[in-house]
Amino acid sequence: MGADSGSGAAPGPAVPWRKVLWERQPFPDNYVDRRFLEELRRNEGLRQYRYWAVVQEAGLVAQQISCVALFLTLWLYMEQGLLSPSTLLWTGLLCALLGYGLYQALAPRGDSDNHHRTRWSDLQSASIFLSFTFGFSPVLRTLTESVCTDTVYAMTALMLLAHLVAFPYAQPSPPGSLSLNAALFASVCLASRLPGDLHTSGGLDSSSSPSSLHTFTMLCWALLVFALWPCLLQRLRDCAPWVFGCVCVLVGVCGVGGLGSLWPGGAVLLAALLGTVTLLCPLLLIRLQSDKDNIQGPWDEAEIQEDLTHFLH
Amino acid sequence: MVLKIFFPQCCNKADSGLLVGRWIPGQNSAVVLAVIHYPFIPGQVKQYIHQMRGQSGVDLTVLGSWSMPKEGQEGMESFLRDLSTIFPQGQWLQLSREMGKIGFRCHVLTRDQNGKLVQQEKELKEDGGGEKGGTKRGGGEKEVEGEEGGGEKDKVIFIHYEQRKVMLSQLHPIDNGVPDPQTESQLPQVFGTVCQSEPLFFLDKYDDGPVKMTHWQSEGREGSIIVELMKQASTPVCLLTTWMLTLWTSLCSSRILNMRPMRFISSKLSTCLQLSYRTEHLQTVCSPTRATAHNHFMRKANIFVSFFVDVSLGLLLVSWMYRENRIGKLANTLVPAADHVAKELEELLQWLMGAPAGLKMNRALDQVLGRFFLYHIHLWISYIHLMSPFIEMILWYVGLSACLGLTFALSLLSDITALLTFHIYCFYVYGARLYCMTVYGLSSLWRLFRGKKWNVLRQRVDSCSYDLDQLFIGTLLFTILLFLLPTTALYYLVFTLLRLVVVMFQGVLHLSVDFINSFPLFAMGLRLFRSYRLAEGVKFRVLCEEPGTPLHLMMDINPLKVSSVVQTYRTPTYSCYPKDSWLALCKKLFLGELIYPWRHKTTKID
Repeated sequence: MGADSGSGAAPGPAVPWRKVLWERQPFPDNYVDRRFLEELRRNEGLRQYRYWAVVQEAGLVAQQISCVALFLTLWLYMEQGLLSPSTLLWTGLLCALLGYGLYQALAPRGDSDNHHRTRWSDLQSASIFLSFTFGFSPVLRTLTESVCTDTVYAMTALMLLAHLVAFPYAQPSPPGSLSLNAALFASVCLASRLPGDLHTSGGLDSSSSPSSLHTFTMLCWALLVFALWPCLLQRLRDCAPWVFGCVCVLVGVCGVGGLGSLWPGGAVLLAALLGTVTLLCPLLLIRLQSDKDNIQGPWDEAEIQEDLTHFLH
Repeated sequence: MVLKIFFPQCCNKADSGLLVGRWIPGQNSAVVLAVIHYPFIPGQVKQYIHQMRGQSGVDLTVLGSWSMPKEGQEGMESFLRDLSTIFPQGQWLQLSREMGKIGFRCHVLTRDQNGKLVQQEKELKEDGGGEKGGTKRGGGEKEVEGEEGGGEKDKVIFIHYEQRKVMLSQLHPIDNGVPDPQTESQLPQVFGTVCQSEPLFFLDKYDDGPVKMTHWQSEGREGSIIVELMKQASTPVCLLTTWMLTLWTSLCSSRILNMRPMRFISSKLSTCLQLSYRTEHLQTVCSPTRATAHNHFMRKANIFVSFFVDVSLGLLLVSWMYRENRIGKLANTLVPAADHVAKELEELLQWLMGAPAGLKMNRALDQVLGRFFLYHIHLWISYIHLMSPFIEMILWYVGLSACLGLTFALSLLSDITALLTFHIYCFYVYGARLYCMTVYGLSSLWRLFRGKKWNVLRQRVDSCSYDLDQLFIGTLLFTILLFLLPTTALYYLVFTLLRLVVVMFQGVLHLSVDFINSFPLFAMGLRLFRSYRLAEGVKFRVLCEEPGTPLHLMMDINPLKVSSVVQTYRTPTYSCYPKDSWLALCKKLFLGELIYPWRHKTTKID
């Protein structure tokens, strides 16, 4: 038989082609046969999203945004003097107790000994928080006195944005460091901009510094909203998922409503944002799945499956 | 091969006789040291040369003969030639000079294998000259034909040198080890030969020795009565001073004065440092052993001269200060000056407590810090006022110590400045510590803010999951520190600048003390007035270039450059040098670490 030249349309020599390079074969080096790209896999591991499941997960993001909005509403109320700090403080403490009770009620069935120990350490933590916050309030209230108001607002906005971006949406229970710290920083900035007690300032000096009670209240609420609420939320999600969904909706409504009572335009904007995040973005995600085009094959980098058990005998 | 003959200038007009000197091995050159005149007994000459060889350690030999015939002295040449048989040498030089002529003539006789002397033509040929310029001595001499164009022409160069200058001079760079005569280059060997042949120059023409010589001292030995007297007196004086110094050092290292607080204070005061340093110097100078090496001699001389100048300047200062009750006037202006400084500081603090330069400070912290520092100043001023009646007396007695030298007066001034500005130092330390704590706290809490921590074991930043209460308190503290940073930083900046001003002033004083201590005055004096004593090299100039005679060059000594003098002979001191580079200093200032920009390098190890 004559030698074959090129494209492989003619039947090749009797020797079959093997995909090896260490043997001299009668084919050119870049020859491929019919089995070319047999091992190509397209869009492996593609998940099929269901719309309502994604919406439910997106609800957490919307919930967090409305939490922030709620916090800002409280601040606005205190700033405009519509709510006195003592009222807010007692409300906060009550909410904290209620939340704690709910948290313990929803706890998974363990031994009661563990519960006692946890309760004692919880009490310790709470007392540390309260004493420290109360101790530092006089310092904190005059911290940003010399900084311009616009700078304070800009810093607050930046920090709250960082909080939203860095929030651990997958598992809110141990709060992420950056998100919590950013939120607390923002709350301290805001707390220093509250108007002072009319009795203390005497109405004479132009820059009235907030009283310690204002600052204390603000910080307690920040702790509640940003540090303790996600823990409860995690518990709810674990134990009763449908309640979780209802709670998200409730928080969203409260947020919009609260903002609306002071600034209707803001409420409209917030509602639009929530709607986009909850309803529009999942739709976008699902629609764009069809444009996915990933290819995998034996040419990919090897992934080491970390299975060291066979070393441990 | 060129034969170089180093000929002393003093022997240019010497009477005929024998040349005494040394052949430099391997270099084909000879150094002529002296001329021995007639009449002499060859046996005595040999004995004398042997004796001199032992005394000086130089390989002296008879090099040849020298003839400068005066009127009525003919027939010497043959006599001189016969001398070569008496003093058997490998090469015999026959130098001759005629009255009225500048150039010399030279014949070299070498021994061939038969032991007979063969005269070789050793005349310089001018460029382009095909002339055979050989001097025809009397008849019957066997002459080796001086060929034109073929064979080698042996040249002779006469290098004249001033014997006294070369003897006293020291060639730099100084080789501290024992040089190997085979590998040493020519110039150090020449200088070394002349220097070591000093015993050869002791006999002058008035002595009644076995031989009559001509060298630089043959007109009469140099000496001065004062130098001799001082040499005689120096030994008992040195012994006395050494004994007193041992007493003083044993007193200083006694147990009472070595207790912790005294040691600490004395290590901080620069006057004590200067005192210990001068003691060390005096011990070096007054050691009864003679300085052998050139380095030791120069070091001793430098220390002695600078000490002398220092003490005389100090005495001048004391005599000026104690006249017309200047001390009293000084004391009277000291307290008002301290008051003035305190008042200026108070005004500065009031300015800081307001809104300095329009900067917005945290009011509460501002007030706290300002009041704290103001109270300090108040305490300080009360202390100064308490001390004011005694200041004049203290100053009077302490000023007497300036008799010990100008350096002591300057060190005293530096110490007084340090004591008077002690409150500025305190403020600087407070401000720096506060700022340092703030900066460290902020950096650590910033890591907590991001959820990381510093791994001390691995010296790197790791991620860390903190507890809720840790996060909470950490964030609160971070916020507080961040907003208080401008206030702290401003106080730190102000006090650091004040401290740096004081440090610069003290630094200037210390540098001048250091300069007086270490500058080699004696070496500089030598370089200026007796520049031949410190030689860096030589330069040659042509004396005589007549056709038919060998080339005559004059060797002049090239004195050492002034910068090299200072560098070589600088007395090592506890030099005041900046401890950190500029970059490290700036980094320390930024972080708030305490800076001590001048560090003393101690020669002793405590």
